[in-house]
Amino acid sequence: VLQLVLLGVLFGAAATAVAYFVPWLPAADSTQAKRIHSLFWFVTAISIGVFALVAAVIVYSIIHFRAGPDDDSDGVPLHGNTGLEIVWTAFPAVLVTAITIVSAVILVQNGRAGADPLQVDVTAQQFLWSFSYPQYGNIVSPTLNLPVDRSVVLHLKSVDVIHSFWVPEFSQKQDAVPGIDTRLVITPRKIGTYPVICTELCGLGHALMRSRSIVTTKSGFQQWAAAQKKALNGPPGQAGLAVFNAQGCGSCHTFKPAGSTGKVGPALDNLPADAKRAGKSLAVYLRESIVDPNAYVVPGYPSGVMPDTFAHTIPADQLKELVAYLQTGTG
Amino acid sequence: MSATTYHGSGAHAPPKRKRTGFGRLLAPGLLRALWVAPLFCGLGILMVYGGRYIFSYHPYWKWDTILTVAFLTMLPLGFLVGIGAFDYWARYAIGAPTRPEDHSDHGAKSWRDYFRVNPDHKVIGVQYLVTTIVFFVIAGLLAMIMRAELARPGLQFVDSQTFNELFSVHASLMIFLFVIPAFAGLGNYVIPLMIGAPDMAFPRLNALSYWLLPIAGIMMVSSFAVPGFGSGWTGYAPLSSSHQGLGALFFNMGVQWAGASSIMTALNFLVTIITMRAPGMTFWRMPLLVWANFTTSMLVVIATPFIAGSQFFAMFDRVLHTDFFVPEKGGYILAYQHIFWFYSHPAVYIMMLPGFGIASEVISVMARKPIFGYRLMAFSLMAILVLGFSVWAHHMFVAGIAPWLRIPMMATSMLIAIPTGIKVFSWLATMWEGKIHFATPMLFALGFISMFVIGGLSGIYLAAVPIDIHVSDTYFVVAHIHYVLFGGSLFTIFAGIYYWFPKMTGRMYDERLGKLHFWLTFIGFNLTFFPMHWLGLQGMPRRVADYVPKFADLNMFISIASFGLGASTIVFLYNMITSWKRGPIAPPNPWRAMTLEWQVSSPPPIFNFDEIPQVVGSPYGYGTPGARHAVFNGDRTAVPEEVRTH
Repeated sequence: VLQLVLLGVLFGAAATAVAYFVPWLPAADSTQAKRIHSLFWFVTAISIGVFALVAAVIVYSIIHFRAGPDDDSDGVPLHGNTGLEIVWTAFPAVLVTAITIVSAVILVQNGRAGADPLQVDVTAQQFLWSFSYPQYGNIVSPTLNLPVDRSVVLHLKSVDVIHSFWVPEFSQKQDAVPGIDTRLVITPRKIGTYPVICTELCGLGHALMRSRSIVTTKSGFQQWAAAQKKALNGPPGQAGLAVFNAQGCGSCHTFKPAGSTGKVGPALDNLPADAKRAGKSLAVYLRESIVDPNAYVVPGYPSGVMPDTFAHTIPADQLKELVAYLQTGTG
Repeated sequence: MSATTYHGSGAHAPPKRKRTGFGRLLAPGLLRALWVAPLFCGLGILMVYGGRYIFSYHPYWKWDTILTVAFLTMLPLGFLVGIGAFDYWARYAIGAPTRPEDHSDHGAKSWRDYFRVNPDHKVIGVQYLVTTIVFFVIAGLLAMIMRAELARPGLQFVDSQTFNELFSVHASLMIFLFVIPAFAGLGNYVIPLMIGAPDMAFPRLNALSYWLLPIAGIMMVSSFAVPGFGSGWTGYAPLSSSHQGLGALFFNMGVQWAGASSIMTALNFLVTIITMRAPGMTFWRMPLLVWANFTTSMLVVIATPFIAGSQFFAMFDRVLHTDFFVPEKGGYILAYQHIFWFYSHPAVYIMMLPGFGIASEVISVMARKPIFGYRLMAFSLMAILVLGFSVWAHHMFVAGIAPWLRIPMMATSMLIAIPTGIKVFSWLATMWEGKIHFATPMLFALGFISMFVIGGLSGIYLAAVPIDIHVSDTYFVVAHIHYVLFGGSLFTIFAGIYYWFPKMTGRMYDERLGKLHFWLTFIGFNLTFFPMHWLGLQGMPRRVADYVPKFADLNMFISIASFGLGASTIVFLYNMITSWKRGPIAPPNPWRAMTLEWQVSSPPPIFNFDEIPQVVGSPYGYGTPGARHAVFNGDRTAVPEEVRTH
């Protein structure tokens, strides 16, 4: 028995070392992530115990109950032990009940927004994110800008297929589903820049459907929001650039005036030449390529990659600004 | 009416004509399939084109409809007609002479007999296993291509469309063409023997259910020919139903054929186990593998129609322009996931319970001890069966389901740990104070227990909703399912193949190569999949061909380990092929086991038992002097005269 206990301690210590010395979790940079991480370590502690027990019994059996080379005898004819069977039914029941209760409490806490939360409307589409801020004049941004230490409620929707919003350091994740509105609460705790990742397979560009979440001070966020609002109401070129950035055009297209370097679709600096090849005037070609991108596809690029949903997602006045902007930038 | 009832007008079996020349084209078999299948395909094209023409639906030639009707439905149907899967029933239906007692097509005298519709459960078992191993190798090679691509960030070998198809087909083949049917194959061979029956209850249905399988497999592999099946094996709508090329239809229909095959086999198992047990074989004297197949079959029969439905809905949305998953028209996208997981979660147990059964057989025999807590083992199988239907939405914790549903689904998912824990502890107690022989099947059974414990523990993390929110759709999930389906299911399939190899082939496998195979697999498996937990926790989503550079080094490590893991399969295949051809002749009972399949010759006689066994005790009476599971007392009444071997 002593040897069995020793083996158990040995396996427990080894598993604990693996758990402790490997940095398993990313930084916990939201209030919700902190709670999730503590639950993670609670479950890990229980798991190490179970693993150590099983591993110790297996190794002990391998050492002590190995049959000799010509040993044809049988083991002890033991058919069961009611007491033992009750113990190993009841004990796991207690453990999983404890985990369930702790998880349920944390789930409820993580779903609760604090006082005066920042509301953000998240629109997902193949293969980009856009974030708009109804409390700040509906400014739209391709990045998720947040103030630190204020709770945020994300309202997610999708215009084509299912996507999923995740920031590993915030630990919170939620699918964006066409036809229903979903909701997610985050309270960032630290200033920094974090990756926004789509985790639900959404098509060819799934791996590249990424954005950033920029967490700044409260005053920094106010300044950013004010600047965005000004740009949207600014002179034509500036408004068009704001739409270009807000819709994330630059993540797929190179366009020198906007400083973008995307390589998924054709470079927009060649627009006049492409329009000529398609046999259309630049303005008509531009509009058509945005609202019905597969009507004409520049040779060398696959059709069906650019989303055909911009007709619904870009408001008419903003579309006009965008077309004007692209026209002046190239012509 | 006497016991021998003849159907139809003739009192005699149809005379077996030796066909020559063009007559051979009419005999059931692959040759006839070669021309009947294209004929049916042509009929299908005509049906679609003609129908559209008559009703003036433009365009007359519509590819997705023609593909679905002609190539994915009529062509396989023609193949089945050609190979002769329906010949007996067709004769019966039209009143032509048939004879149910005609056993002349049972058994295999040459390798050719494995390529025809053969109602012998032992032949079908081997057909199943060989076919599934072929698809296992194909699916494994697809995984190797994926790991080559993932060794470095960015795209090197394949584009993202091909990559999406690679993991979609890899998972579909492994699940529908390997794990599920491999267990069905092992069960097919072993179950009738274990319960003392001469064959399955419905031998012709059994043959049909096998021949559906290659159809489903070829369908899924050939989805590469047209772009489009890149929505993962989960095929979530609306990505699969309206944002993919024609390839998605291959999956929609492939699942129907594979699903029909599993339902037929499961019904066959249920009827066989309920009605064909040898005298004295009460439910509490059945080996645990029989219990496991019984519960698995109930899961299959109840759950499989749901995945069939989900795939039909997705297919109808594309081909018939229905609106099941079109929210603007009142469709509800999450309905797909609810229906899909109502099958696909029980499917996890369909892929695990037979493995539990195999592990129980192997551990008890190799430790020379009775199963510890036999009845509780059977009850825990039933508990998993019932609980398995109440946990499906734990795959949807971040999907946007009704928020109240998450906590009860978490609670039921956690409860499954209890019966599973009972099984693990009972196996450990079975080994305790035993006399353990470490033959290859036992090594795989022990590898299974240790890996399955890790997979089960990571399952607790995934059942706890807040942690699941962090890790769902990441590599943590990839690690978890491979610990469960590779460390769990595949290890027990290997244990089962090695354990019954002498019974099936009459020859022993090479023990040294078997052990080498185990260690290469065990080490390669852990090096490949354990680091994936870290990737997922740190932020690498699954189903991506490209990833951020900070994960590059670990992915390179995983890829190298996975190639080693892939190479271990070569050892297995080499061992199987050479041992089958010229391994040493196996005795009837090399493991000194008590269950019935080991009490007959290796391989068994054509109708399994020349004498009806009389079951008198537990199948696991090891250690009790004089304990017997069954006795043979010369009862030959139920064995047909013409098939007795001595």
